[in-house]
Amino acid sequence: MKNHTRIVLSALFLSFVFILAGCFSSELEKSESQKSESESKKEVSTLRIAIPKDAGPLNIYTSNSDFDYLVELVFDKLFAPSPYVADPEPWLAESASQIDPLTWVVKLKPGITWHDGQPFTAEDVKFTFEYYRDGTPNRHSHHVSEAPSITKIEATDSQTVRFTCEYACPTLAHITLADLPILPKHIWQDVKEPLNHTGLPVGTGPFRLVEHKPDELYRFQANEQYFKGSPAVKELVMPVIKDPSATFNALRAGEIDIAAREVSPELLDTFKNLPDMKVVRTAPLSLVDLRLNYERPPFNQPEFRRALSLAIDRQKLVDTVLLGQGRAGTKGFPHPDSPWTNPDLNTPFDQDEAKRILEQLNFNDHDGDGIRETVSGTPLEFTLKVASTEPTWIRTGELVKNQLEDVGIRLTIQALDPGVVRGLTKSREFDIFISNSTPHSAADPDQFITMQRSGNLWKKELPYPEMDALFEEWKQTTTIEDRKNVLFRMQELFNRQPTSVVLYYPDEYWAYRTDAYDQWMESPGYGIVHKYSFLPSDARGGAVVHE
Amino acid sequence: MHISGVRTRGRSFSSRRLFIRISQYILVVCVALTINFTLPRLAPGDPLNYILGDEANSLNAEQRQQIYRELGLDRSVLQQYGDYLLGTLTFDLGDSIRFGRPVSEILVERLPWTVLMIGPAIILSALLGIVLGALAAWKRGKAGDASLLTGMIILESMPSFWIGMLLIAVFAVNLGWFPSFGAVPFTGTEGGLAYFVEVARRLVLPVTTITLATIGSNFLLTRASMLNTLGEDYVQMAEAKGLSERAVLFQHALRNALLPVYTNVTLSLGALVSGAVTVETVFAYPGVGRLLYESVLARDYPLLQGVFLLITIGVIAANVLADLTYPLLDPRARSGTRSEVS
Repeated sequence: MKNHTRIVLSALFLSFVFILAGCFSSELEKSESQKSESESKKEVSTLRIAIPKDAGPLNIYTSNSDFDYLVELVFDKLFAPSPYVADPEPWLAESASQIDPLTWVVKLKPGITWHDGQPFTAEDVKFTFEYYRDGTPNRHSHHVSEAPSITKIEATDSQTVRFTCEYACPTLAHITLADLPILPKHIWQDVKEPLNHTGLPVGTGPFRLVEHKPDELYRFQANEQYFKGSPAVKELVMPVIKDPSATFNALRAGEIDIAAREVSPELLDTFKNLPDMKVVRTAPLSLVDLRLNYERPPFNQPEFRRALSLAIDRQKLVDTVLLGQGRAGTKGFPHPDSPWTNPDLNTPFDQDEAKRILEQLNFNDHDGDGIRETVSGTPLEFTLKVASTEPTWIRTGELVKNQLEDVGIRLTIQALDPGVVRGLTKSREFDIFISNSTPHSAADPDQFITMQRSGNLWKKELPYPEMDALFEEWKQTTTIEDRKNVLFRMQELFNRQPTSVVLYYPDEYWAYRTDAYDQWMESPGYGIVHKYSFLPSDARGGAVVHE
Repeated sequence: MHISGVRTRGRSFSSRRLFIRISQYILVVCVALTINFTLPRLAPGDPLNYILGDEANSLNAEQRQQIYRELGLDRSVLQQYGDYLLGTLTFDLGDSIRFGRPVSEILVERLPWTVLMIGPAIILSALLGIVLGALAAWKRGKAGDASLLTGMIILESMPSFWIGMLLIAVFAVNLGWFPSFGAVPFTGTEGGLAYFVEVARRLVLPVTTITLATIGSNFLLTRASMLNTLGEDYVQMAEAKGLSERAVLFQHALRNALLPVYTNVTLSLGALVSGAVTVETVFAYPGVGRLLYESVLARDYPLLQGVFLLITIGVIAANVLADLTYPLLDPRARSGTRSEVS
């Protein structure tokens, strides 16, 4: 009995210590939050933003387009905000004019400095484009060497750059210059192995990265001398929280002010009803698709790919898996919201037509087991690979499996380590896999061209007379309008016999604490966490579409 | 003469055994190092796809080769293996592909947090598990035992991330007593009392989670072992001598019953360096476990090898500790026992 009493007493004591510690801390937090409330919401000293993944030391050579929203806090581009808007505005550039189909002259804004005080000049621009083109390849290289192919970059004076292209480049200012961040020559000219460069980045952007703890935290400080005006937020602290539920618990508990990741459909109602919390919807320029291995039979037959596309009821996927939070992929690839996408694309659901095509291709069910066979008797049985870390995609895969079974095709779902799935495009060891395309792939027309030729959606070594002819025609066009027209025809052809069967375009919802900051704005493809949200409203220019 | 003879035999036996043990450990380390090197490379996928994402698929073969060269991945596997072994001996573990920083530097940053989180949890889980297990066995069949047993089995069957999420929901989100993630506060400078209080507050929920998740096995093991011991003659003898309940329980029965529990706890010390992946993920705690998980996803070979090496050393050290200290607790496991008996 005595022992029991002792245990109960110790437990009580422990709880007391817990409670005391808790009270002590809530007092601390209260005084901090009171302090921030008294300040104006338009200017904030510190914002706490949870990010889902570490992006390394924001070295452009070791980061991908998922991290553009972080990289561009530090770096600027000549045009802004991105190639995903119809008409990007000059940013580091003051103006850009096309002299002839092959030549552009870009004037730079005067008086801009790098974070370390060095002046930003035409030499930096020339260096960056040449470095991307001739140096170690990075994700921007093919936008200087292939689409478009820039043969000559000259700094005619300290504020003027002249670009000469190999073939006509009417969209240079709209796409290329709005896509490639500019590096400081005085730092990068000595970097011989850019992948191994680890110094904290020096840019012209509104924020300086002052601290990076791998997988743990980023800390940015406002660049008070920013040429567009001093940022409205003085410090950004970005803890890396991988787990979505941990992220949103931290947001509810008030430990962070916003999460740079979408609120999952299941959490939406909870967050919409919380006090001091606002949820906004954005249309991200991303999509989820089935990638078909066009090098393997029968996927190498254009009509078979078309039959697959027709057999999938995309609206059902959206209703069941996304709980309605997205749009069915009935407008195919690329993303319908991109200003560079043909608005008339159409990838309908028509099982009867799918069956008719399969019969025409001589895929019939000879043994009556519900699954069609080829003429030689091989059943149409394939493997659908999907990343094990994406439960939504796995559920999607299960539904696709059922839908294809209705037209006589059997799938086996295989959930794999995401590292393996990422490598499939290169290894080609798949029939079908579920992939997602970021805005760079789904909304940038030059990337669409690159993907058709680099082994991603197709490869140039594989004959595709219709598409190859269109590509040659595309190269010949000298105006934006003409180029768009050819591009639209390429997109039509692609979706008629797709190697990417788009399933849906998810919506994104962002939740943030209104008591911390409420000046968030959407930039297409970036959501609301990006540098323009942190600039004073008069400095944002036309970089953001709507509130 | 007779006694000293036995001693000599005992010593030579013991040094031979020591020699065998050391050779065994060296062999284990060598095999582990080789597995640490080969296993990540056998998995399909490569670091390039992680670094560049979908854009990696737009590179041609020559461009890929150029990137591999810069990352040091273009050399033959044997060359890389040689470098790795040499690096391990000289503690130069190379640079992480993802972060571009020396692996050893990252490990040194992470290790203290893992030790800080797992250490107290192992101690708490062992102490509470043992005490409660002993009490339950003593009260065998009574209401207290039944409810403890039920509670512990429930805890034992709950996954740790679930416990963690429950604790966060209650203590961080609803009550707001403790922070839900991270190891250090964002603001304020390092050092100073306020900083340490913050660090301690951030430890409470993860430590509690791991304690709750692991207490069940210690409890069940102690209880089962105690039930066996309590039936022994010497315990009844102690009771018959009129010793107090407490003396019988803790001084006579528990000491013997503890042996399997001790082994269990010592072996779990390996987790001190390997961390707890799920708990670290749920609490976004910067431990070694999460580092390992992220490195696997990224195919960051140098960092993976570094973490594996650390874990190998941790597990082997825990085994050595168990081997060396077990005889101190259990005289039957000592060599040359006969001489001591005589």
